[in-house]
Amino acid sequence: MSAIDWTIIGAYLLWIVWDGIRLSKNTSEIEGYFLASRSLPWWAVGLSVMATQLSAITMIGTTGQGYAVGMGLLQQYYALPLAMIIIAVTFVPFFHNARIFTAYEYLERRFDAKTRSFTALLFLFSRAMSTGVVISAPAVVLSVMLGLDVTATCLLMALPTAIYTMFGGVQAVAWTDVKQMYLIVGGLGAACVALMLGLPDNVSVGEALQVAGTTGRLKVFDFSTDPSARYTFWTGTVGAVFFFMSYFGTDQSQVQRYLTAKSIDQARTSLFMSAYWKIPLQALVMIIGVFMFMFYVFTPPPMLFNNAHDRQVRESARAGEYAALEQKFGEAIAARKLAAEQLAEALRANDAGVTAARSAAFNAEEKRVSGARAEAVALVKDVTGDSSYNDINYVFPTFIVTHLPVGLIGLLMAAIFAAAMSTVAGELSALSTTTVIDFYRRWVRDDGDQPHLLWVSKLATLFWAVFASIVAIYAVELGSLIEVVNRFGSFFYGSILGVFLLAIGWKRCNSTGAFVGLLCGMSVVAYVTLYTTIAFLWHTLIGAAVVFAVGMVVSELTGPRKPQSAVRIPAAEA
Amino acid sequence: MTAMGRTYIKVAVVWVVTLAALYFFQSYFTR
Repeated sequence: MSAIDWTIIGAYLLWIVWDGIRLSKNTSEIEGYFLASRSLPWWAVGLSVMATQLSAITMIGTTGQGYAVGMGLLQQYYALPLAMIIIAVTFVPFFHNARIFTAYEYLERRFDAKTRSFTALLFLFSRAMSTGVVISAPAVVLSVMLGLDVTATCLLMALPTAIYTMFGGVQAVAWTDVKQMYLIVGGLGAACVALMLGLPDNVSVGEALQVAGTTGRLKVFDFSTDPSARYTFWTGTVGAVFFFMSYFGTDQSQVQRYLTAKSIDQARTSLFMSAYWKIPLQALVMIIGVFMFMFYVFTPPPMLFNNAHDRQVRESARAGEYAALEQKFGEAIAARKLAAEQLAEALRANDAGVTAARSAAFNAEEKRVSGARAEAVALVKDVTGDSSYNDINYVFPTFIVTHLPVGLIGLLMAAIFAAAMSTVAGELSALSTTTVIDFYRRWVRDDGDQPHLLWVSKLATLFWAVFASIVAIYAVELGSLIEVVNRFGSFFYGSILGVFLLAIGWKRCNSTGAFVGLLCGMSVVAYVTLYTTIAFLWHTLIGAAVVFAVGMVVSELTGPRKPQSAVRIPAAEA
Repeated sequence: MTAMGRTYIKVAVVWVVTLAALYFFQSYFTR
């Protein structure tokens, strides 16, 4: 990378810290620090919601997914607008009227301290680990591209984020999210245009998409009813409703975003920004992957996109085997390019018979290329011992550093940093809020001493930033542990949603019912995850349904609570 | 109907239109 690109990345990192702290106001009390004194406009909150959800893993992993298998994953987002309407009608008014800091605080008002603390603890545990992953996953890839070690790359992301989140609070998070979102969307748009311009002169964008379409990469509707299929229309529209209700309705990293809005309607409108734009934005991310596939059909790609691994294998005892594979790969690439040009010609001529034959020929060559690459990846895993190596994560960054002009490289790299930092900042702020509000202020000290609470809040932000950085730096060694934690996290995603649905929707539910339901829901989802092949997007629905059913039955058996407090928050809290 | 009620309907309509556009996209480029 050139000095200009490094300057752009450096300038971005300095500017975002300065800008975040500069825009923080009224952070001398914890309501200002954690909730921006409930004063932010809907559009800033809406962009912050989107920025928190869109991480660098989306930019790197999802574009890679579009490249390797196509746009099928897009179906996962189909239910998001529907989930947003449900959340706007149900959760948002309850949370806003309750004047709470965290979603879990509401559970104590509705049930008891035990339910609140348990759900808050589950959130802290899983979100802290996942924040580490949000840093480490892109850092591992970017470290290869930037020529830095993984620790330095992790710190390059975590340190500036920790500084502006710690000193600026949620206002710094929200206002930097806004700028970062502009940078991310601008960067993605620029990459998409560059890819379209990178196609050969004799192949139009439409023809390129039609060629990609013959490989199934543009299939965005799969109506399969197989419950183990990961991304189908049904998992995306039925299962994912519950998944998004859980994420946007009960996860503090998102709830905190819209608690900063000026009013209930502004909070609702902020969520509708995602309802309108999340599917198109995700489609843009995925179509970049498809365009990269077409770009590398006409421009010879490297056999491996991770050049560090490529070098390592070349210098190993199995270099000869690798060279033979490379020759096989090169021949397949040349044959695929020729087949693609012939297919594009047939499409231009609009001859259905010839098109079908050439489409089959192109797909056969594509299979040869994929087969050769799969053999190369297996060889890399053998030689390097990196069993979790996923070549597709390196496709987009490799395209950026090898095919984009100076300046745009720096901009795109800054956009990837921005995507990671906006997510990490939102999560650090949520972790700190939950630590202070649900544990410190609840169990240790609640004397209203604002300077003291503010000091503890900053310390909590720093603590979680250090914790996430340690997880990120040691993520490679902690690989299996993180997987266990993530899997454990998935056990209670639906179950926590079930508890909130009971709190809001079943006025006869009592604390015993909610708590027993939560434990049963987690156990059932754990069983489903470990012993069945049911796709993960159904797990949230299963968990929520079990909690709701068990909660209702246990509440009826143990004596329902007084109905009125289930639907209306006490006046003192309104 | 309240202003927010109309917004819910608008979100639902845009949702259906977005899915329809994607279906058309798939049908056109994979025919």
